[in-house]
Amino acid sequence: MSELTEYRFTEEVVSGKGGFAEKPGTGIAVQPTRPPEAGDITRLEKVFELQDISVAYAGVPAVKEVSMDIYKNEVTALIGPSGCGKSTLIRCLNRMNDLVPIAEVTGRLLYHGEDLYGPKVDPVQVRKLIGMVFQKPNPFPKSIYDNVAFGPRILGMKGDMDEIVEKALRGAALWDEAKDRLDSNAFGMSGGQQQRLCIARCIAVEPDVILMDEPCSALDPISTGKIEDLMMGLKREFSIVIVTHNMQQAARVSDRTAFLMVELEATEQNRWGRIVEYDATERIFTNPSDPRTEDYVSGKVG
Amino acid sequence: MTSHVRAHYQGELAELEVRALGGLDLVTETLTRTLEAIERSDIELAEMVIADDDRIDGRYLEVHESILTLLATQQPVATDLRLIAALLHVMKSIERMGDQCVNIAKVIPLSGHEPPSDEEMVRDVVTMGRQARSLVSQAKRGFAERDVELSRDLVRHDDVIDNLNRRCFARAVEIGDDVDDREWGITMLLVARALERIGDNAVDIGEQAAFVVTGRFREFEDASHPGQLAGR
Amino acid sequence: MSDFDPRTARAQVALAGARGVTAGVLSDQPRRDVARNSIFAALLFLAVIVALAGLALLIGDNLVKGWPRLNSDLLSNGTSSLPDDAGLHSAIIGTLWIMAFVILFIIPIGVGSAVFLEEYASTESRLARAVEVNVQNLAAVPSIIYGLLGLAFVARGPLSLGFTVLTASITLALLVLPIVILVAREAIRAVPPSIREGSLALGATRWQTTRRQVLPAAIPGIATGVILAISRAIGETAPLIPLGAATFVTYDPSGPMSGFTAMPLVIFNWVKQPQAEFQVLAAAGIVVLLVVLIAMNSFAIWLRNRYEQRW
Repeated sequence: MSELTEYRFTEEVVSGKGGFAEKPGTGIAVQPTRPPEAGDITRLEKVFELQDISVAYAGVPAVKEVSMDIYKNEVTALIGPSGCGKSTLIRCLNRMNDLVPIAEVTGRLLYHGEDLYGPKVDPVQVRKLIGMVFQKPNPFPKSIYDNVAFGPRILGMKGDMDEIVEKALRGAALWDEAKDRLDSNAFGMSGGQQQRLCIARCIAVEPDVILMDEPCSALDPISTGKIEDLMMGLKREFSIVIVTHNMQQAARVSDRTAFLMVELEATEQNRWGRIVEYDATERIFTNPSDPRTEDYVSGKVG
Repeated sequence: MTSHVRAHYQGELAELEVRALGGLDLVTETLTRTLEAIERSDIELAEMVIADDDRIDGRYLEVHESILTLLATQQPVATDLRLIAALLHVMKSIERMGDQCVNIAKVIPLSGHEPPSDEEMVRDVVTMGRQARSLVSQAKRGFAERDVELSRDLVRHDDVIDNLNRRCFARAVEIGDDVDDREWGITMLLVARALERIGDNAVDIGEQAAFVVTGRFREFEDASHPGQLAGR
Repeated sequence: MSDFDPRTARAQVALAGARGVTAGVLSDQPRRDVARNSIFAALLFLAVIVALAGLALLIGDNLVKGWPRLNSDLLSNGTSSLPDDAGLHSAIIGTLWIMAFVILFIIPIGVGSAVFLEEYASTESRLARAVEVNVQNLAAVPSIIYGLLGLAFVARGPLSLGFTVLTASITLALLVLPIVILVAREAIRAVPPSIREGSLALGATRWQTTRRQVLPAAIPGIATGVILAISRAIGETAPLIPLGAATFVTYDPSGPMSGFTAMPLVIFNWVKQPQAEFQVLAAAGIVVLLVVLIAMNSFAIWLRNRYEQRW
């Protein structure tokens, strides 16, 4: 008898409706584990809040309506094809765009809750707090020591200059290579060393945020690796925003990634950048929610 | 703007998937032979099954190597990355299914020269085998067509196998006091157990298909919480 | 036949043929092109020879003519109406005084204008564009016009400084300012924008950036410009003639408000004299002036090569 009962049960299952997920006790969703700092957004301190930021050059839009929050002690990467306005966007964050008279920034950009483009804000003060490393290493035509000491000197920082210089060079993992040649010209260094010198110069003034505009695009893979390592360490003290062409670099170093893409006007006269997706880096590179992001990161469109 | 690039890489990836899923066709063939060998207690056929497994193992190694090459040279991300991760699992499942066929083939000689003592039990085992074989084909289709519903549906068919397996167990327990009968019963139980494992592997492949599509890994049926079988 | 054996005779011939074809393609430059290239190169060389020969002839001629008077007396004798007693002493002192004040005027004004135009004035601003066009035009104005300007506005008129060292300095400074501004602008423009960006991104003000990054990097270029401007000023005669009421100065100029003379003026004066001895003296003076000018220009070139920043 028991066999018969069981057989019926089997028949029932075979002719059932499927739908196993609804059955109690079946299937436990296994969530991919994420680093807590990347997952729990509510616990993170916001450094920047971009609200509908648009940038135009002489009335021609370059970036349109970008809204995103950038968090403290994280590496945030901006990726996207050429002309998507990622460099334009990063230059808004320390008001470098002010140096281009025809550039016009609209929208609200909050820095620790304060309007960065408010009437009382001095862009020079902004740049003291928000440093920048550029695409091509741009050391000053001076000694290694003077390169690092330049910032602290003009800002009138107190303390022993030798110590400040050493601390900054150590912070940029350059001390061992540079300590015996502090007085020689920075132009004698290799490209990778020059870029780390620029990072040292930047951290010497103890900023809050470091912006990096394609910092490794002119460097070989070894130098790139050193700078990437450096970024992982630096984010403990600073918040970092990096623009990169190299998607694998964004995947390697960043906690959060924003993907921007180019939008064309119907007439194809104008083109501008727009943010498509902004999420934890690991999600962008394993399971992006927008198919355009998927196509871009997996290299299906260029 | 939307010019398609990396066509070569996309082609390689598609080819890799075809090779990997082709492993399931090999399993289907082997399974057919295995079932025949069971029905007829054909020892020569059983030896062919054991030889067949080398082909499956070869395919496993070949696909595994291609996956490593693709990972190293193309840095796949997003859906491509999920597909490759899933294919690694699928290949492992295929290799295990082949091994189960070998396990069956190895015990067939033990079932003796005499005709089977319990025809109903043989019928159940063969039914299990056919069910397992159709599960393998369905798993392949579900994966190739990225059909989550079809993949989920595998669990339903797998339950049929599980229930038949339990019935075989009950029969083997009651098969009688004769030593030869008992030996035969236990042998058939081993066969049933192997077929049941093949069904589970097919469900695993279905889970991988769902992972490729949704990006979230979710077990269709958790072995440690067999809730829907509580009626037993 | 499927296996190619390089040892057979047929294979040898085929290989030689293939090599011949490759060599032919690589060396296939039409004969006409070769001829055109040589003719053009010869013409360019001729142009260089003509220019250099003119300069060599000038120096050689004056060296030969002035040789009898090329001695230390030439430098130590003062002005005199007697050819045997005449020398360049007062003129050299006068030139030194004038140049000292020219330098004093042109460095701050020239560099200041260049910094303003390059670093501060927006390219859009009408003022900046007007200044820019004017500076370029001023460089092309004949030097005698500056002399008349000096006469009307500096010696007499609003400033009324009289015929003094200061008047000559101001006039010559106005004459060479466009050169200084143009060269200094070039030097400032040669400092890459990335240096300014790097400095500004550290929180430096525009002035700190100009003062501590741009100007130090541009100094070699600016110095070159200043030296070239001064060597031009040293040789100028025309603008000084309207101011040169006192070409016959028997004393050494002693300060900004003193009467003055200068080397080109004295030489000009000697050339005008009827006596043949004065012609010899003039030739000797020309040699001295040319040596000073060549020395200064060489120094400018050396300075540029030695300190110019390669980016």
